[in-house]
Order: sequence, then C-alpha cells, then structure tokens
Amino acid sequence: MSGGTLRFRPLDLGRWLLWGGTAVLFLVLPHVFTQGFALTLMSQAGIMVIFALSYNMLLGQGGMLSFGHAVYSGLGAYFAIHALNLIGKGQLALPVSLLPLVGGLAGAAFGVLFGWVTTTKSGTTFAMISLGIGEMVAASSLMLPGFFGGEGGVTANRTAGAAVLGITYGPAIQVYYLIAAWTFASMAAMYALTRTPLGRIANAVRDNPERAEFVGYDTHVVRFLQLVLASFFAGVAGGLAAINFEIVTAENVGVLRSGGVLLATFIGGVGFFFGPVLGAVVFTLFVVWIAILTKAWLLYLGLFFVALVLWAPGGLASLVVAALQAAKGGRLRRRLPAYGALAAAGAVALGGFVVLVEMLYHLELEAVNDPVLQLAGLRLDVKTAAPWIAAAAVLAAGGALCAAAWRRARRDEAAAT
Amino acid sequence: MTPDPPAIELRGLHKRFGNTPVINGVDLAIARGERHAIIGPNGAGKSTLFNLISGRHEPTAGAVLLDGEDVTGLPPFRINRKGLARSFQVTNLFHRLPVFENLRCAALWSLGYRYSFWHRLSRLREPRERAERVMEEIGLAARRDTPAGVLSYAEQRALEIGITIAGGARVILLDEPTSGMNRGETAAAVALIRKVTEGRTLAMVEHDMGVVFDLADRISVLVYGEVIATGAPAAIRANPRVQEAYLGTAHA
Repeated sequence: MSGGTLRFRPLDLGRWLLWGGTAVLFLVLPHVFTQGFALTLMSQAGIMVIFALSYNMLLGQGGMLSFGHAVYSGLGAYFAIHALNLIGKGQLALPVSLLPLVGGLAGAAFGVLFGWVTTTKSGTTFAMISLGIGEMVAASSLMLPGFFGGEGGVTANRTAGAAVLGITYGPAIQVYYLIAAWTFASMAAMYALTRTPLGRIANAVRDNPERAEFVGYDTHVVRFLQLVLASFFAGVAGGLAAINFEIVTAENVGVLRSGGVLLATFIGGVGFFFGPVLGAVVFTLFVVWIAILTKAWLLYLGLFFVALVLWAPGGLASLVVAALQAAKGGRLRRRLPAYGALAAAGAVALGGFVVLVEMLYHLELEAVNDPVLQLAGLRLDVKTAAPWIAAAAVLAAGGALCAAAWRRARRDEAAAT
Repeated sequence: MTPDPPAIELRGLHKRFGNTPVINGVDLAIARGERHAIIGPNGAGKSTLFNLISGRHEPTAGAVLLDGEDVTGLPPFRINRKGLARSFQVTNLFHRLPVFENLRCAALWSLGYRYSFWHRLSRLREPRERAERVMEEIGLAARRDTPAGVLSYAEQRALEIGITIAGGARVILLDEPTSGMNRGETAAAVALIRKVTEGRTLAMVEHDMGVVFDLADRISVLVYGEVIATGAPAAIRANPRVQEAYLGTAHA
C-alpha cells in the first residue's frame, strides 16, 4: 500500500471492515454463485491471489522483476503432491488441510537454495538470473522423471487421507473452503509483512539500494529474505493447486506460468497491496472463463494488458484508488457522466472489435465447415462483405465516440478547476 | 593514559580509477567532536575522499581508521554499523517513501530491528519517536506523509541530512550540504547542521566559503588529490599556498 504516488489510508475501522468484508465475501460467494463452474473459477482465483501477492512481494515491494517465480510455486506443488501420495499410502500422518504448508516450506527451501545467487543484484541481473533458474528447473523437470513424473506429471487422490471432522475433500465445495481459508490467511500474513521492519526496508531497497547500504542494510540480505518469504507463499499456492487439480506437471514450474503471474500482478497494479488481488481475479476470469467462450482469449488478454500499460500503468488498483480519491474530494459525482459516456463509447468500440476478431478466427478456423458465425444472437456469414463492413463501422464509430468523450471530459475538468 | 584515537584517521590513502590517480597519499586525522571542512577546487578529489572513507569505493592503497579501528575496504553497511553516516552531493533519498518512512528506515538498523519480520512497525515506539524528532529538527514535520520524490529541492536537501543523522551515528560526513541553495536556505542549513551535529564529529565537503569559515573548527585543503594544508580557519586563510591554489582564484 505504501510506495504508490497515490495514497489511500483507510481508518482502522475501515481496515477491520475491509478484512471482515473479505472474509464474509469468501464465505458467501459459493452460495451466490452456485454453479459448479463458478466454484472452479473461484477456487483457481483464490490460488492465483496468493501467487500474485507473493509475486508482488518481489516486484512491487522489493523492486525485483522475476521471470521465474513459478519455480517456487511449482516445486511447492510437486512436494505437496508427493506428500499427498504418501498420505494415501499411509506413510505420512498429515491432514490434507495442512498440505499447503508442505508446499510453502518446499518453496521457501528452494528460495534459500536459489535465492542467494538470484538476489546478489537487483534490476536486469536479477531478472536474467531468475529467467535462467526458471529454464534450469523446467529442463530438469524433463530430465528427472522420477520426481517430476515426465510428460504425464504426478497425479494423486486428495480424498486419500483420513477424514477430519467429516472433511474428505471429495466435494469441490470443501476444496473451495480450504482454498478460501488459506487465501485469507496468506493475504493477512503478506499484508502484515509489509508493515514490519523488513517489509519497509524492502521498499527502501527498491527505491534506492545504495542509500539503504549507507543506513546499515546489506541489500543482498534484504532481497534474499524477501525472496525466501515470497517463495514460501508461492509454495502455499502451489500446494493448493496440487490439491485442487490432483495433478502437477512440468507446466507448473514453466516459464509460461512465471509470465502469467507477472501479467496478473501488473494488471492489478504493483503499487498497492490489493492490486494483485484484483489482477489475479481478472486474470483467472480470462484463463478460465473467457478461454471457454472464445479461442481468441489470449489475444484479448494481451490487448487488455497492453491497453493497461499504455493508459493505466498503475494497473486496475490505481484506477480504483483514483476513483476513491475523487469520491473523497467530492469530484466523483461531477465526473460520473463523463466516465459513463467514456465507458459507453468504449463498449461500442469493444463490441465492434470483438465481432471483427471473432469473424477473423471463424474465417480462418471454421469457415470451411460453416461460414455462419453465431455470436450473441447474431448470425454472421463471414464469407460475405456486409458483416465485416458493419463491424468495422461500429468499431470506427465507437473509436470516434471515445475520442469525443475523452475530449469532452478533459474540457469539463479544465473548466471545473 | 593513551589519548583517544581520532574519530577518522587516513593513512597514506591512494585511489586511482584506471590509470588516473585521484587521491595521492592523503594523511589526515579528525579528532572526536571536531567540525572539519574539506575544501578544494573542482576535481580535487573531495567527494572521492568521502567515498573512500564511507566504503563506497575501496582505496588502492592506504588505510581508513574509524575510532582507531581499521575499516579499509569494508562495505558501506558495515562502516555505517560502526557509527559513520554520510550524505550525498546529489540527493539520494527513498523517493517513493514518505518523509517519515525515509527517516524511520534510516533509524531501524541502529535501533536493533535489523531484518526483523516479526515486529509490527506501528507498535515500535523508538523508531517512530526518533523519526518524528528528526523530522522536527529538519523542519519537515508538516511534510510527514509527502513522498520524498515530490519535495522541493531545499526540503530534499534537509531530508538528506535527516537520513544521515537519524541512525545516531557518532561520525557524520556531509558532502556539499548547501549546494544549489540560495542565501536564505544556506543560512538555515548552517543552523541546522550546527544543531544536529552537536556532540558529534563532522566532516564536510563545502564550496561556500562563508559556510566553511562559519562552521569549521579546522579546515583541510585538497588539491590534485593531496592535502596541501590543514589548520584552523584563520591559519588557512593566511596560508599563501592555499591562497594561490584555491582561495585567491575561486573566491577572491
């Protein structure tokens, strides 16, 4: 939360409400969204929240851009799933509920192992070494099939352990609540860590490592400890993923997953503690939900990311905070019509754009079988010119409306101040 | 009874960058509690000398002693932990952190909290009080929550001094604390430096002769990496070599 140029400081009462509200939200969500699919989505979002927050301990709080954070979550997941199999064989007496702890400890142990080298320097050096270690672990996952399970990965049965208080982890709802509990605890712990001497000094080292050395701190040790702690929480996320999917493959330690958490964290915003929470939810929506709706989901995710980097480099959190500050200063009501107009114009442009993209994908992939694309109740024959022209016209009109709304908003704002 | 060792002692200090010698055999002793100014023309090696003392650079030859203890070649954080703190000529702050956090970070190590991730900052009275006291001293109490990066230049210079003193170091090095300030700001800075270095050892690099002769107990003149004179202000003013090398030309 500290460190952003925009500052948001709720009262202590507000903080209690915020955390209490979060807990209540976690409790009631499955009763609001009762479909099995929603449960899948929320479970994965919870895991991603922990993962992205742990990533932000490096990027946002410590100024370390990592390209290999999946190493720690992935290895945590592997250790957790092996432990789960041992539980199944009766060789390990551990409740399945505590399995994420195994993941966390494994993550932290690898943080100790790799971290001392990676954190020697910050900046490009750190980024490159993290990438190298990510590649190294991904490569060894194929060379050591005994541990990593080769191409097929390692599978397990989460219902294997003895039922504690009737919790078997058979039903998905039980897994959801396990994830929710760990997510809440991890969020609280990571928030608390930002408010300790180490957490604050990590900010100082991010801002100015040289000066930190002149007030008594070995910046290498600060970065190292921060990375080990972040690796612990990454491992917790990995352990939860192992329980949730009952399979861990080489993908879990791969570069794609390392890139995914970077994307999620950046989308949410690295400058605020809660930024990665938003980012993780949006990212999961893309990966789990939009990926089912359309083959073009990765394109949309990429464009969304680029748009944020260009127009809201502070991420979604910076937009939320700006709106809250506007509300506090009494400016939100005045600006609402302008925001509304901008959103409406944006929706028109987005609609036109999505139709174009979907028609393009349909033309390339499906048109041989059926030239007609069914989209939101529309029947569009992609082999004729009319739908292309119409969609392009909608996109152009939306773009023009956006520009007009933006100019109008700027002019009104200038007139009001 | 043996006398106290000097706060800072330099013995035959040399530094060369590549083939360029910058410091050519500096011997200097600064007594405890002394306010010592180092002057000299541009490029004389004044900042380099500070970098050697504070551990930013390692000397090519020679030794740096802090309270009689050899600290040559130690990294900055070790030298800081032994009681020496410095400021920088080019402002060097934690720019995204507020004023208060800048000062608290500067105090944490010396108060024993080190790398703790099991203390809650909001419960730690000492670091808070130390930061608040320094904030009062440097006149930035009203800017408590302002990120250091958006302070005015004079405020940043004050915070630069604040970070230097917040750890309670016995020996303070200030590198051109008044550079870029106008007359009024300089006067305020001098008063501030006088106040906050009370009872400590101060070494400062300074270009403003008014500040130097006002603050310093003794002055060393550095020319081409060598100390050509050390002494009380009056003696330095009267020294013909100094007048020739520096005072006469730059500050007639």
